[in-house]
Amino acid sequence: MTTPILEIRNLHARIEEREILKGVNLTIPAGQVHAIMGRNGSGKSTLSYVLAGKEDYEITEGEILLNGVDILDMEPSERAVAGIFLAFQYPIEIPGVATMTFLKAAMNAQRKARGEVEMTTPDFMRAVKEAGAQLNIDSDMLKRPLNVGFSGGEKKRAEILQMALLKPALCVLDETDSGLDIDALQVVSRGVNALRAENRSMLVITHYQRLLNHIVPDVVHVFSDGRIVESGDKDLALQLEAKGYADFDATAA
Amino acid sequence: MRQTMPVRLGAAEDTLIAQLKSVGAHADAERITVAGLPTRRVESYHYTDLKTLLRTIPPLAKAANEASAPALRVPGAYQLMIANGVIQSASTAPAGIIVGKAAGSALSTRDDVLVHLNGALAKESLTLTLESSVDPVIQIDRRTEGEAAHVADSLKIYVADGASAIILETFSGSDAAHVGNHATYIALGKNAVVTHITVDLSFRATSHFATNEYHVGEGAKLRTLVIHAGAGLSRTQLFPRYEGAGAHGDITGLNLVSDGQHADITMDATHAVPGTSSQPLFKSIARGRGKAVVQGKLVVARDAQKTDAKFMHQGLMLSDEAEILSKPELEIYADDVVCGHGSTCGKLDEDSLFYLMSRGIPQEEAETMLVRGFLEELVDSIEDAALAEALHGVIDGWLLGGK
Repeated sequence: MTTPILEIRNLHARIEEREILKGVNLTIPAGQVHAIMGRNGSGKSTLSYVLAGKEDYEITEGEILLNGVDILDMEPSERAVAGIFLAFQYPIEIPGVATMTFLKAAMNAQRKARGEVEMTTPDFMRAVKEAGAQLNIDSDMLKRPLNVGFSGGEKKRAEILQMALLKPALCVLDETDSGLDIDALQVVSRGVNALRAENRSMLVITHYQRLLNHIVPDVVHVFSDGRIVESGDKDLALQLEAKGYADFDATAA
Repeated sequence: MRQTMPVRLGAAEDTLIAQLKSVGAHADAERITVAGLPTRRVESYHYTDLKTLLRTIPPLAKAANEASAPALRVPGAYQLMIANGVIQSASTAPAGIIVGKAAGSALSTRDDVLVHLNGALAKESLTLTLESSVDPVIQIDRRTEGEAAHVADSLKIYVADGASAIILETFSGSDAAHVGNHATYIALGKNAVVTHITVDLSFRATSHFATNEYHVGEGAKLRTLVIHAGAGLSRTQLFPRYEGAGAHGDITGLNLVSDGQHADITMDATHAVPGTSSQPLFKSIARGRGKAVVQGKLVVARDAQKTDAKFMHQGLMLSDEAEILSKPELEIYADDVVCGHGSTCGKLDEDSLFYLMSRGIPQEEAETMLVRGFLEELVDSIEDAALAEALHGVIDGWLLGGK
């Protein structure tokens, strides 16, 4: 059997004294899209931050393997180089740093860390233009400071643009549908679907089934009280939408 | 007043008194004999106690024999030089500029020790009269060469009605314990538009003092930027005076301090007539045990109604030991004004750092990006591209220059 892109084994994490992840087990084979659904406060977003390496969380037990390699001791920047990309629920505004400057820094930092030559400016411009066109991102938006004054839709499209340029092995999308109207949701979903590939996996975290009509998952997991309590195919999402999370809480208890 | 109390004088004061007497400035010598250098008990020197910080004064400067390379090169700039207080002969001036000299300091009398010292010790002022708009950046390269020296120099600029110019002053010299006392006086005529940038790039052993006096006429627009990026001890005093309706000042400054450095920007602005405005914006970045000070005083005269002025100081601490001190003061005698002040101070934002790192940018590079972003608004409004690039170079030099 080939190595899965992501393998999480019995992961426990806490912030200060409060345990948030209580034994997460999850395997995503190459090429698959998995969705995690759960109510607010169930620990979904924590899982995404822990994958990306945010400092605030203490891992007390378990491991995370990316392509078979343990990433828990890696810095966030090293994890990105190893192939993890987190599309933020609330992308951070960075005044004074032009979006273009940031994109180039990120791409070249990853190339440098992998021992590849840095991209020339014309190649870089071409890559950004191509990826941007699919997401309705024009050059004016790229000249503005990163995420500053971007609308909700612009922020999410900028996240997907970064994903397209950085070509990660694992895309983690944290509530990518939040703050999007139907049109924006379609643009973003199209962007995400265009990135589905045999050697890439995705973890889509969401409250609502709506997003999964556009980004159709191979597997749906229900998250409750810090772990996965049920897994199934895409119909599980419809079932959840109809019945709510209450039944699954019973399973968790 | 405290001046009547006898004070114990230190070596620096003894030297200053002797130097002042040697040039016949007996009243100034007497003032220091009675009051000494200002201590923290003098409000305007509260955070920059000269009596403690200035232990020795080197001999008065002699004419320089050699000059080091320019501290900052701006392609296309028209350069003038004052070396060790002596005005150097200049190349042919571009259209619109008349270059000349005048005896003595350009500053108006003021109850301030640095102003008094410049008044007594500056032998001549370089004078520039800008009759019309000047295209190239005007760079005044002020330097102190050779052995450690106490130097006072002065510059006076008249900007005619409707004229515009970008004026850059750079301060540098040899690696010695110089004490520099530099004066600049700029008068802006009706509707004149001036950008005035001063950059200290002295060596660490040097103490750098500068006083910039501005008279902003009707409808005139003044933009200033002070950058402290060199001397171990630096203080720039900004005295803008808004004297005609519609006069506006974007007064900005940047303290870049590393371990052991002390940098102070002190502004004392006067809105003298109705209908003037100003936006003072200062930033300080401190690392190691560096200390940065910004004092900003806005004085609004009794009949200066409709004054609109807001002072802001933002500090960024890159270490736990750094110190950033902020003192806004409002002195308002009119009753129909919009005036305010704000100060913020903090470390680099953790969430921003995580965001950049999550894209593969290593921590150090991510921190540098965030610091550059913090400063960008001070530099990005500079219209001349070559000058903006040179200033980015100064900032990057400090950022990448280690502790």
